[in-house]
Amino acid sequence: PSAFSDVPTNCKVIKSSSEAQLSRTAEEACVRTPLQKQQSLPLRPVIPLVARISDQNASGAPPMTVREKTRLEKFRQLLSSHNTDLDELRKCSWPGVPREVRPVTWRLLSGYLPANMERRKLTLQRKREEYFGFIQQYYDSRNEEHHQDTYRQIHIDIPRTNPLIPLFQQPLVQEIFERILFIWAIRHPASGYVQGINDLVTPFFVVFLSEYVEEDVENFDVTNLSQDVLRSIEADSFWCMSKLLDGIQDNYTFAQPGIQKKVKALEELVSRIDEQVHNHFRKYEVEYLQFAFRWMNNLLMRELPLRCTIRLWDTYQSEPEGFSHFHLYVCAAFLIKWRKEILDEEDFQGLLMLLQNLPTIHWGNEEIGLLLAEAYRLKYMFADAPNHYRR
Amino acid sequence: MAGGEGPVAECREHLFKVLVIGELGVGKTSIIKRYVHQLFSQHYRATIGVDFALKVINWDSKTLVRLQLWDIAGQERFGNMTRVYYKEAVGAFVVFDVTRGSTFEAVSKWKHDLDSKVLLPNGSPIPAVLLANKCDQKKDGSQNPSQMDQFCREGGFVGWFETSAKDNINIDEAARFLVENILANYKTFPNEENDVGKPKLDLDPLKAESKSQCC
Repeated sequence: PSAFSDVPTNCKVIKSSSEAQLSRTAEEACVRTPLQKQQSLPLRPVIPLVARISDQNASGAPPMTVREKTRLEKFRQLLSSHNTDLDELRKCSWPGVPREVRPVTWRLLSGYLPANMERRKLTLQRKREEYFGFIQQYYDSRNEEHHQDTYRQIHIDIPRTNPLIPLFQQPLVQEIFERILFIWAIRHPASGYVQGINDLVTPFFVVFLSEYVEEDVENFDVTNLSQDVLRSIEADSFWCMSKLLDGIQDNYTFAQPGIQKKVKALEELVSRIDEQVHNHFRKYEVEYLQFAFRWMNNLLMRELPLRCTIRLWDTYQSEPEGFSHFHLYVCAAFLIKWRKEILDEEDFQGLLMLLQNLPTIHWGNEEIGLLLAEAYRLKYMFADAPNHYRR
Repeated sequence: MAGGEGPVAECREHLFKVLVIGELGVGKTSIIKRYVHQLFSQHYRATIGVDFALKVINWDSKTLVRLQLWDIAGQERFGNMTRVYYKEAVGAFVVFDVTRGSTFEAVSKWKHDLDSKVLLPNGSPIPAVLLANKCDQKKDGSQNPSQMDQFCREGGFVGWFETSAKDNINIDEAARFLVENILANYKTFPNEENDVGKPKLDLDPLKAESKSQCC
């Protein structure tokens, strides 16, 4: 029995009880009818991630069009060739990877799986063994004094990673996440475990799990899978996450310089592309750090439903420096997307409440597609011409 | 505005920035959600950076207090970022988890960080209240009241409360106590910057119609 069986497929309906609405009406509720409001609230706050994880549009799963069939064929052809043409694969993946071929495509795009067909099987085997070698070697040290803090922080954060999706409340899944994060943290002492990295495992885990699951992944009971399969999913998630983090390490090292730089860059970019929004923030003393820190630290995962993050990562993995550089333009496009709502808010509190609870719960592929197109446009207008539009 | 320049001219509105700090997982977000939304959930995600919440209190017939609550991530990795967050705060909750001793040991570190980065206009530390949270899970003899009183005196806390966001214990009381302390400072230095909001000549009619105190 799913905790979310009452959630309609069309998630637009949920919007009214989202956390966003909650906090935005909190002030009124408090002053006017605290009791009544309290009773009308659901016992648990509804969080965007309850929407279907997989890659459908929020309006449900439409039948496959001819164009989509052709695209899928194209992917199958690329993936089954003796040497997969990675440039071509990136080009095809930029506008989104079909669900059926996403797991293998992601393994290739992240650089985990070799383009050469013959080497794939062995590479996978070797990497999976290597990962479980780390586990054997290091995992017992989690209770030793020098690693205790790291393990404890991870242990506290795992149950609150995607807390409303039943999949992630299963002990087996939580143990997998703990191992992945602990091994990564102790192998990267310059950063160690930083809150937010836990979120970054999720898309890989869900995508690699989806290879074995026909129904809704979010309600799947992983005890139905063999230990071998679970081990493969775990090791692949670890390596792909490691590849991702290699590209954004300075986001998580001491003082998080990568994030500081990107938040500044976002501010600079917005000041050029939308002076009105920029000045509005200045007028009400909103600092970009106050909302965009999380956008950078968690790669917008806190602002979007999980299915959208997965779609977004199709593109990030196809774009050169997708996670480290293109993400900035996506953030700028994302911010400007809400310009009307932003300009309607007339105080600091209202602006921050809006920016921390943007109503994306109904978003699907279409919205992400538009966002990415706008980000792409911004990148080409502003990337190599820093003063292009400066007045 | 309905009030015009009539007899309500004495009404004052304050906006106070209050910080909520402490180690990760001690329940800072839960305390705020309980206080502001009268809700508890086991399912809050870890706070990244800072989260904002607002609580409006009809303090008395002449005073409206808006508490701007800054819920600050427990894993502070940003170096000097707390300096940015602490700016212009006039009060703070420092939270620890009674079931995890290490979070109590970190209280002094957080208090020191606070005092070294923000002060009242007269140079004294901002009032800070210590919250011993998750007291619903308390094992016997964990907090000795007289020891805690002494700890607060020595550590510069204006007071401490055993709280439970889950069972709604002492959250309103602790907030009321902190606001009293903030207001006392405000009365001592009424013209200083610590009152972020400007005293208003008339009340917003929407808020004026509510007589009940919600805190």
